[in-house]
Amino acid sequence: MGDSQYSFSLTTFSPSGKLVQIEHALTAVGSGQTSLGIKAANGVVIATEKKLPSILVDETSVQKIQSLTPNIGVVYSGMGPDFRVLVRKSRKQAEQYHRLYKEPIPVTQLVRETATVMQEFTQSGGVRPFGVSLLVAGFDDKGPQLYQVDPSGSYFSWKASAMGKNVSNAKTFLEKRYTDDMELDDAVHTAILTLKEGFEGQISSKNIEIGIIGADKKFRVLTPGEIDDYLAEVE
Amino acid sequence: MSRGSGGGYDRHITIFSPEGRLFQVEYAFKAVKAAGVTSIGVRGKDSVCVVTQKKVPDKLLDHTSVTHLFPITKYLGLLATGMTADARTLVQQARNEAAEFRFRYGYEMPVDVLSKWIADKSQVYTQHAYMRPLGVVAMILGIDEEFGPRLYKCDPAGHFFGHKATSAGLKEQEAINFLEKKMKNDPAFTYEETVQTAISALQSVLQEDFKASEIEVGVVRKENPVFKVLSVEEIDEHLTAISERD
Repeated sequence: MGDSQYSFSLTTFSPSGKLVQIEHALTAVGSGQTSLGIKAANGVVIATEKKLPSILVDETSVQKIQSLTPNIGVVYSGMGPDFRVLVRKSRKQAEQYHRLYKEPIPVTQLVRETATVMQEFTQSGGVRPFGVSLLVAGFDDKGPQLYQVDPSGSYFSWKASAMGKNVSNAKTFLEKRYTDDMELDDAVHTAILTLKEGFEGQISSKNIEIGIIGADKKFRVLTPGEIDDYLAEVE
Repeated sequence: MSRGSGGGYDRHITIFSPEGRLFQVEYAFKAVKAAGVTSIGVRGKDSVCVVTQKKVPDKLLDHTSVTHLFPITKYLGLLATGMTADARTLVQQARNEAAEFRFRYGYEMPVDVLSKWIADKSQVYTQHAYMRPLGVVAMILGIDEEFGPRLYKCDPAGHFFGHKATSAGLKEQEAINFLEKKMKNDPAFTYEETVQTAISALQSVLQEDFKASEIEVGVVRKENPVFKVLSVEEIDEHLTAISERD
């Protein structure tokens, strides 16, 4: 990877045993726009703020929530360009699995392979870690699943999680509101309320994005019209 | 080789600073401003127009060789703001990629696909130490078969967005403020309005009236989706129309 001149790792241990580049990457994530995910009994919802730098930006040209396979979606907090790279690599890995086994890739395996890529960039020569944390939402034979992957390459399964600027408030809010028997619709409402908690300005279908996957195992991003309906219900 | 906690190298290559920033990328943005030129792009109902200053620093220079407007294919144009040498590399690679796309897939590369490709390439330079980010902000314009007129802006960080109007370079922020006021109610500009908005934005922000030879203008129109660089006479017509209007 990279020129031979840089065949040493840029991420090395400090005297106290920390990998400082990874910590800095996490700081970059922490200054990104808030995103969150909630696992319901019959599906998963992921959502994010979509604050664009100017009203001149065409918001239809930007989609922060992406699908990796028909039944797995992903959202991020942190650096957009780094996210695009991971999406591309993950999609390719999912497709290669499908080509080999003629089966859709299980969520855990795709998460593991994506996390491996992120870990490689913390150890390989001449590269820096990814400045994103991912929330991967999927529905396969094992049911609905939600995983968070960090720049270090470590990943955990969550019932509900949040990342980015407003992470501590959002997580506190989710801890209070989460119940194990939540339905997907309730989860969407809770997601919107959580985003609203730390939202600067007026929340609308133009400055948030929501993706859901239900028992039909089809991941999709909600249209602005559907988001408006949910927002009206939440009021 | 002690590269432990950044050790000051976070300013030399693209690794994270303690605050989670990439200084090399931020410096690349400064290099774009240092070129001293401002560019503007405006998207109308059925056309897109980009305008930039044409600064010829020496009278002995052949002014026809000084340009920041590059056709990538017959239908796609690219306006590069920033370091000219970096711009030429970018244009060369973009032309190659667009031609290969046409050959491989049998149809013209759409604006957003080219923009994404350029942005993804820029992202690689922000993550790998062996290449620095390019000091160029690229505005790509074209008519998309499905979505109509499209204007995209790609920056050294690897971001890219579609824009209704935008600016890059020295007076970027002032220009964006001006354009935000003009585009507030989502006006659907005609071709003439699009070009005149772009040129008058540049004039207002730089607080000077131009001669036609001091700016470059590139357009694409739905009725004729070929990327066209306006001639000095055509620019003059628009300048006259603007001064008569005021």
